[in-house]
Amino acid sequence: MISFDLLKLGEAREIGGKEDLSRDLELEKIIEVMAQRDGLVAKECERVITLSRTDIPSIKYRQEAVKDAIQNRSAVLNAYRFTGEVVEETKRAAFLVSYDNAESVVHETASGLRVMIGAFRGLRGILNGAAFSSEAFRELVKSVEENADDAFISSASELLSYLNFGSSTEFSAQLGTGNTLRDPVFLVPEREGGIVKRLLSGRSGFAFRVDPRDESGGRILGDINNWVLSGLAPTMLKAYEHLLEFFRTLHEQLAFFVGAINLRDFFEKAGLPAAYPDLSPGSMRFRDLYPLSLAISANGKPVPNSLDARGVSAFVITGPNRGGKTTYLKAVGQAILLARAGLFVPAGEMVIPSPGAVFTHFEREEERTMSYGKFEEEVVRFSKILGSLKPGDYVLMNESFSTTNQVEASVVAEQVVSALVDGGITVFYVTFLQDFIYGFVKKEGEHVVLLTPERLEDGTRTFRLVRGSVQLGYAVEIWDKFFSKG
Amino acid sequence: MEHRSLLGSRGTKADHETIFDLRIEELISDILGRDKDQFLLNVFEEPLTDRDAINFRLSIFTDLLNQSVYNAVTYFVDAIKDCKRLMNLEGDLYDEFKYGFHIDAALTYVNALENSWHLMDGLNLKSEGMTYFASYLKDLINGEGFKALKRATYEAKAARDRITVRIRISGLEVKVNRDENGEDLASKIEELFSRFKGQPVQELKPLTYLYNQQVTHVHAAILRGVYKVFREEFDIMKRLKDDFPDLVDEGIGSFAKEFEFYVRYIDYMRGIEANGYRFSIPRFTEDGSVHVKGFYSLLLAKKKVAVANDIRTSGDKRVFIITGVNGGGKTTFAISFGQLAFLSSIGVPVPAEEAELPAFSKIATVFPTGEGTLEGLSRLEEDVARVRKVLGSADSKTLVIVNELFSTTTSEEGFELARRFIGKIKDKGSYLLYVTFITRLAALEGVIPLSTVVEDDRITYRIVEGAPDSRSMAVRIASRYHLLYEDIRGALN
Repeated sequence: MISFDLLKLGEAREIGGKEDLSRDLELEKIIEVMAQRDGLVAKECERVITLSRTDIPSIKYRQEAVKDAIQNRSAVLNAYRFTGEVVEETKRAAFLVSYDNAESVVHETASGLRVMIGAFRGLRGILNGAAFSSEAFRELVKSVEENADDAFISSASELLSYLNFGSSTEFSAQLGTGNTLRDPVFLVPEREGGIVKRLLSGRSGFAFRVDPRDESGGRILGDINNWVLSGLAPTMLKAYEHLLEFFRTLHEQLAFFVGAINLRDFFEKAGLPAAYPDLSPGSMRFRDLYPLSLAISANGKPVPNSLDARGVSAFVITGPNRGGKTTYLKAVGQAILLARAGLFVPAGEMVIPSPGAVFTHFEREEERTMSYGKFEEEVVRFSKILGSLKPGDYVLMNESFSTTNQVEASVVAEQVVSALVDGGITVFYVTFLQDFIYGFVKKEGEHVVLLTPERLEDGTRTFRLVRGSVQLGYAVEIWDKFFSKG
Repeated sequence: MEHRSLLGSRGTKADHETIFDLRIEELISDILGRDKDQFLLNVFEEPLTDRDAINFRLSIFTDLLNQSVYNAVTYFVDAIKDCKRLMNLEGDLYDEFKYGFHIDAALTYVNALENSWHLMDGLNLKSEGMTYFASYLKDLINGEGFKALKRATYEAKAARDRITVRIRISGLEVKVNRDENGEDLASKIEELFSRFKGQPVQELKPLTYLYNQQVTHVHAAILRGVYKVFREEFDIMKRLKDDFPDLVDEGIGSFAKEFEFYVRYIDYMRGIEANGYRFSIPRFTEDGSVHVKGFYSLLLAKKKVAVANDIRTSGDKRVFIITGVNGGGKTTFAISFGQLAFLSSIGVPVPAEEAELPAFSKIATVFPTGEGTLEGLSRLEEDVARVRKVLGSADSKTLVIVNELFSTTTSEEGFELARRFIGKIKDKGSYLLYVTFITRLAALEGVIPLSTVVEDDRITYRIVEGAPDSRSMAVRIASRYHLLYEDIRGALN
């Protein structure tokens, strides 16, 4: 059995709410850099980056494969191009417009199969020219070597030779209702020697010829032929589809690594550091993490951030506008997604607590007015996220629940965030809800980190976020300041 | 054994008006479905007057309501039909195929009789008709003729099954031979490519090449080759056809046809029952009493919207005056009872929980003729003419159903005509269901008033004994929209 899995994506498909995630975290910018205008690369990279579920061994497996692909970049790029060509050439050879005509299904799939069988030697040449070290690529090379060997290629060619256009149809059948034919089985044609054997065994048989002027007779022979071939067609289609799937799947999986190679090229051009993240429960740590999408649009190096937190699963971000809060949220979200994909992140170092999925709940432009109707929409959107949330996941919230007054919004926010955190979710929440911030920080103490934009002594903004603290009695102070002067 | 009919005696076709007014055609069409067999259609339109004849059929129904008996009979009916279909096919085909279809028809027939008997044997049959059928079947199966047929059939089938032929088509040339150890190409391909197992692909189904598409001259030529190559097997198949040209016993054929009357009706019943309604075997009273509980409209039960009602009389009073709100179910009530009476006279189970009623000798209807076809006076004349005709043949076993008669004159005059008509009906001792909006008729001496029931401003479609409610639906609706006198006064104040 020929098998390989360069990605170990498992059964998991794309994450629910992918559109929100993509928009909120500006994923299309990253995908664009990875794809370099190749639609399939874009699609496959997006698929891996927005994977709904994965685990630590799979992430490590992909990390090794990505490193390997970067090491053996020319073999990977060649194999990607070659498998793409095989798929295209096969489709041109097998003109399968419909499955209605069994005869055409058999003949078309046979010519498609001939192309693919012939391509195995080329594929083996490309793969053997590289020095792969990762489990993922070594398994692929081994499986192809073992299964698509010369013996397989010659057997396959022989079987397909029975299905050339214009060759005769031989089949066995039994008699059913009304003595009509039933259960036809397409037979391997008897060799020439068979006639001698037949004569010796006294089986002269019975032969007749349909008159060439008998048009309906000719058509009926065609019907019979088609009927017999219809018993063979499912097998042929299956062989064809499975072989095509082999090349297509390989091509698709390689596309992700092409994307990784392209991303690496960008990092080098932009001078970004590249680290393969670690996973360690309870740790949320990064050093000099760059916001990737900003680096892409600015085509340079923006301000990096660092964080070192253990045993914390709530990160509340507040403070003046234009201080880098949303950029921070995006940088963290993008890095977690890259980490899960098995890719490198733009940081000196990074550790994340779990392989969980990332969900975003960002304030919508159209929700920027206050009304209970809008509030209801927000709540509905949030409840959809809850539907697919699991412990270990990440929720990134940007000004959630700001469509109603802060007092009642705070109550909701407090309920929501407390519940998430207690349920094993890591939360990053950009918010201005004062009641919430004050109450939540007081309640959670050590288990929450409050982040605010840094401002230097002279008032300069650094666009870096640093740990802050809740300042109590601020308002009273102001009051006092005004009234004690009196 | 001589064959006797499972339908007993036949009745006489009902009046056109009665069939039309009681919507009997619609009913029969529901019962028989798409395949309207003229023979069955006739039986359903012919009421019986003889009580024994009716009970002969009803007791067969009673047996058939036992699921095991029903299964045996439906199996029998379908199998014989199948056999006849195959024999009909033979007629038009090339000779080569006749031998084959004859085997299938014979197999179907032999199995039909044996399995039917197997299913019937040991069942507790009570009716005269079913008992007779069972013994006829038993005698036939145990006869020498049947045994010989069975032997020949099995031999022919075995011979056919021994044949595996190898056919080679190259261009227009066809070669037929015995198949010996041919190698299946599909399984070789399957095996070689199994190493590429992946996602399931679209499952292509092999073409079905129906046997009736395979009866062409080319197929016949191939078959000729098969017979030549398999000479011995062919001789055995040919013997079956030569020795047993006609397969189905004449009596068996008739039974199969007549059973359809019962089976179709039971199938129809099951459909209605699945909607939550019940049927019962009617019983016929001698004293003129009527006692029908929970009867309903079959045409509405089909749509699950029928409401059940009761009707009863000791037989002293036989005139029912039905009044009440428009759309309250008056006409439906009358037609449903008419249908029930009609069905009971065909000898089939009726749509009611319990049904005891006289065996009516005739059901007559006087419903309004098409609106606007006649001027006022001539319509009134028409009404009177029809009434006279009905009265002419009415007796104490006649059921008359009247819907809004004499409605083209003033209610004063209408009342008077109706009063006279009712008086004459009473004299004859006939049964009358009279649907009318002239509520005063309900107060006449010696009639049973029935009226629609309205609850919480809703029509219930129930009809009960008693005088009509004085507060009409129109008044209730006006009240709900504050349009009654007090409301309007209050609003204007």
